[in-house]
Amino acid sequence: MDYGRPDLADRLAADYALGTLRGPARHRFEVLLPAHPRLRQATLIWQERLMPLSAALTPVPPSPAVWRRIEERLDGTARRASTDRPQRLAFWRGLAGFASIAALTLAVLVAVPREGPPPVIVVLAATGENAGGAATPSIVASISGDGRALVARPIVPVATRPDRSLELWAIPPGGKPRSLGVMPGAGGTMALPAKVLAGTDTLAVTLEAPGGSPSGAPTSPPLYVGKFTL
Amino acid sequence: MVKNVSEWTERSRELSGLLARSGLGDRAAFATLYQRTSAHLLAVVMRINRDKAQAEDILQEVFVNVWRAAKSFDAAQSQPLTWLTSIARNRAIDSLRRLQTQPQFQTHAAPSGSDREDESVYDTVADAAPGPLDLLTQASAARSLGLCMEELSALQRQSVALAFFQGLSHAEIAAQLRQPLGTVKSWVRRALLTLRSCLDGSLQRDGSRAD
Repeated sequence: MDYGRPDLADRLAADYALGTLRGPARHRFEVLLPAHPRLRQATLIWQERLMPLSAALTPVPPSPAVWRRIEERLDGTARRASTDRPQRLAFWRGLAGFASIAALTLAVLVAVPREGPPPVIVVLAATGENAGGAATPSIVASISGDGRALVARPIVPVATRPDRSLELWAIPPGGKPRSLGVMPGAGGTMALPAKVLAGTDTLAVTLEAPGGSPSGAPTSPPLYVGKFTL
Repeated sequence: MVKNVSEWTERSRELSGLLARSGLGDRAAFATLYQRTSAHLLAVVMRINRDKAQAEDILQEVFVNVWRAAKSFDAAQSQPLTWLTSIARNRAIDSLRRLQTQPQFQTHAAPSGSDREDESVYDTVADAAPGPLDLLTQASAARSLGLCMEELSALQRQSVALAFFQGLSHAEIAAQLRQPLGTVKSWVRRALLTLRSCLDGSLQRDGSRAD
């Protein structure tokens, strides 16, 4: 299905926001959402249309136990993650170490449901004036063995502006960049069209209009670049 | 209770700050966010999953997720209350998917001795709560959409109300209204398109009033 078709995107997004998109179709839609700007845009608009209708509901105060349980859960994770704020700066400074931990985590993340080839880890470094010294790793990406999913995660705060989106591209040697979709701000999983990575050996990130380059080709030089071999 | 879209926007503006601070790890801001929104979100969840204990479990999941995802919230893309309500509805709908494998859930909601098949869960549990069509009518009135929505038949309005306020699927609405699935699908679609043009018209009116 071509999710770039505006009428189809609008229809699916409306069904999703309303809640009538169900079962495997709903799940598939959620997987596709991060990678398809048009689908995401249509969904945001439909949610903005429909959700205020819920203002007609009479609020139901939850019992006090709910907040206690939430706090317990948050305290639990905070202790386990041991990334309390005073330690955070030092944490970021240990970049190299973190990059490999991140790569490991991503590998595990992608590896769990897999049978077949292992995931490929790509480290993207800042280019040009964004580079803080020699090729600073900035984003790690993990491509699933079957080439159908990609997890991207910034490991330093990546340069962006609120009115711009980071778009991810796969580039064949000497060929035209192919859009993989807009990168979720804090990183996340992107579903990839079949064979989009075939013959490519470079991942690049450019700064584009919100929702991705309207023309389907990058409009600015890449901010981050990484090589890989499938 | 928020009555119209400008109040929704108003409340969202305040929540934006709380959400941003939560994203930076500010637990006090997160606690305030919870106080301000949990009763609304529980109401949203309970329309879809009427079991209060389960609804509260869902609410707990929602807020744990909100805490983790707060830093990825993009105020330029959506309003906080819309974002939170969407997360709550999605979780509630997901819980229904899981419940389908646990059919015993619905039985305790029906009064014992009642074996009427057509007596659906929300008829019996609805008690004093307004029905979905009432809610849609209220919501439309609050936004001055009443007239605009009148171009839909009662059944068309009912289908979209059942979907939004009760979280029913097309098939469930068809069963509830005793209509063919295809008919219900086209009613829902038609109702959505009408709602879209009514809402977009009302947004423009709200916008011009605000200027």
